[in-house]
Amino acid sequence: MNTEYFKIALRNLKSRSMRSWLTVLGIVIGIFLVVSLLSLSEGLKDSVMRELKMMGGDILIVYPGDGSDIVTTMMGGVELKDKEIEAIKRAEGVDIVLEMPFTGSVVRHFQETKMALIYGIDLDDGLPLLRDNMGWEMTSGEFPRPGRREVMVGNLVPKDLFPEMMVGDSINIQGKEFTVSGVLRSLGNKQDDLVIALDLDDFRSTTGKREGTPVAMVQLYEGYDAEIAAENIERELEQSMTRRRDEDSPSFSVMTSETVTNMVDSIMGTVQLAVIAFASIAILVGGIGIMNTMYTSVKERTKEIGILKAVGAKRSDITKIFLFEAGIIGIIGGIGGVVLGLLLAISVEIYFSQIHPVFYLEAHISIWLILFGLGFSFAVGCLSGFFPARQGAKMKPVDALRYE
Amino acid sequence: MENVLELKDVWKIYDLGKIKLEVLRGVSFYIKKGDFVVVLGPSGSGKSTLLNMMSCLDVPTKGQVFLDGKDVSVFSEDKLAIVRGEKIGFVFQQFNLLPHLTAIQNVVLPTLFRGTSFQEKTERAKEILSSVGLSSRLNHKPSELSGGEKQRVAISRALINNPEIIVADEPTGNVDSKTGAHIMELLENLNKKEGRTVVVVTHDAELEKFSNKIIRIRDGNLIKK
Ligand SMILES: Nc1ncnc2c1ncn2[C@@H]1O[C@H](COP(=O)(O)OP(=O)(O)OP(=O)(O)O)[C@@H](O)[C@H]1O
Ligand SMILES: [Mg+2]
Repeated sequence: MNTEYFKIALRNLKSRSMRSWLTVLGIVIGIFLVVSLLSLSEGLKDSVMRELKMMGGDILIVYPGDGSDIVTTMMGGVELKDKEIEAIKRAEGVDIVLEMPFTGSVVRHFQETKMALIYGIDLDDGLPLLRDNMGWEMTSGEFPRPGRREVMVGNLVPKDLFPEMMVGDSINIQGKEFTVSGVLRSLGNKQDDLVIALDLDDFRSTTGKREGTPVAMVQLYEGYDAEIAAENIERELEQSMTRRRDEDSPSFSVMTSETVTNMVDSIMGTVQLAVIAFASIAILVGGIGIMNTMYTSVKERTKEIGILKAVGAKRSDITKIFLFEAGIIGIIGGIGGVVLGLLLAISVEIYFSQIHPVFYLEAHISIWLILFGLGFSFAVGCLSGFFPARQGAKMKPVDALRYE
Repeated sequence: MENVLELKDVWKIYDLGKIKLEVLRGVSFYIKKGDFVVVLGPSGSGKSTLLNMMSCLDVPTKGQVFLDGKDVSVFSEDKLAIVRGEKIGFVFQQFNLLPHLTAIQNVVLPTLFRGTSFQEKTERAKEILSSVGLSSRLNHKPSELSGGEKQRVAISRALINNPEIIVADEPTGNVDSKTGAHIMELLENLNKKEGRTVVVVTHDAELEKFSNKIIRIRDGNLIKK
């Protein structure tokens, strides 16, 4: 039965003017924002979470700075010095502390010279940690051995940085020769996959940086509670820092995989909240637009309402016809928004995966988000159509028929 | 014969603020099943208003309207709508077809609000349209039809729910006299052959000849002969 009301509504829509269609733009924009930005931010969250999953539960990350802004701290060159590393090592529950200093450096492979990110990793202590807890694996060759001037390279180095590079090749880092012992499996993000990693001692001697690391990774004794260990480390670090009051004591942060997860969650939560706020405004405007055109439509079709009532339409019948019409306008706006939103999300994904690969970003396209977008726009349409429809339904048949 | 319709002291007063416009002033009469009634009167005399009362489009300010013995003047608006859909078939001077629907869709329209099977009604609509000579115009929009054809579509629409009473407000008012005669012939057939009660409002005294009962109205009062 309702399909007939639906058909009537559709037929009415066909006779609409362009101007009345423009009023759905708000819905289109709102749903577009929701679909595109939520897909992308969910996708971003997914890829961060995927990396975090590689990091086991008994791994902590310590870095200088108060944790509110990792990027600035890392860029700002604040580092954990040997004293602090020692302090971390003293903390109860700590098994291994892995310094991970890195720096940009000129690297030459045969005739080619490029800038690359080089990492220093303690091959004795650190390698097992990275292998067992962070999922580092070789696709070809072997892990480098300490004292043999060997390096391992990220999965994209032989592809993007030095095409043709093969295991066994020698490369020159700031004038010193090394041998490529193996190529790593992809670590899930562009930056890590472009890395050249060498033994910590080699790194220190090659770069001339005698101490300091912008980040340290801590492995706990098996079964030791990560939160308690984090507190222990903080206590030790605070004590070691008060001992050198003369220097301005930088703050530091200890992150467990849980705190990282929470942080990512809260950042993404904020982003999504902002998206939803903007989208709500757009949708509200769209809803008002629909309400407006529906009032016009009811007015224009007063005579028609009179005829329908004369041939037996009840108030609820008239309401249904107009609600359907408003709902369809809403859902058409929703379809427009979903299509545009998906287009943007997929374009961004393609941009990052093929044209400008900085990191892996896969838009998280959820069928539920799409269904929600469509359902919600239909609901907004119906809601906006409610008062106009009721106004139409309330008309007295004689008055409506007399209307010219 | 039973009274299909009976009006008892029906008043319609429009409150225009300063003045109260008495359009109907205590009208009483009855119509029997199978009557062909012509309501005659000059323009502005209250014919259409009276027809609206008789066909449940409007309720009187005062007085009672009995349809099949039931006092419909106290019915709720939705109840009146149901009565209109079931028992009354309307034919208007301006045809009042929905412009974006085809002839057959216009005819089927009243069944939409009764929950009847659409498929079955489409068949019936075809039959009715054929019986008024429009079998070749089923899928034409009103804008593609002549005045006479439009009025025949309107009559078909009035018949789709098999109503007891057909009410027509100046059905020949917007067509030429030849077409008007054809429309009246159709209504006459419905009355004579199918035994339906027909009420026609007009200011054209010519149409008297079709009726077996004439109601003359002037300034809201019936004129007894
Ligand atoms: N809703 C209304 N409000 C105020 N006055 C009305 C209303 N409806 C009708 N009238 C008045 O009631 C009077 C009778 O109107 P009605 O339409 O019944 O006349 P009629 O006999 O059908 O005339 P015509 O032959 O021109 O159609 C007119 O003077 C009209 O102005
Ligand atoms: Mg009239």
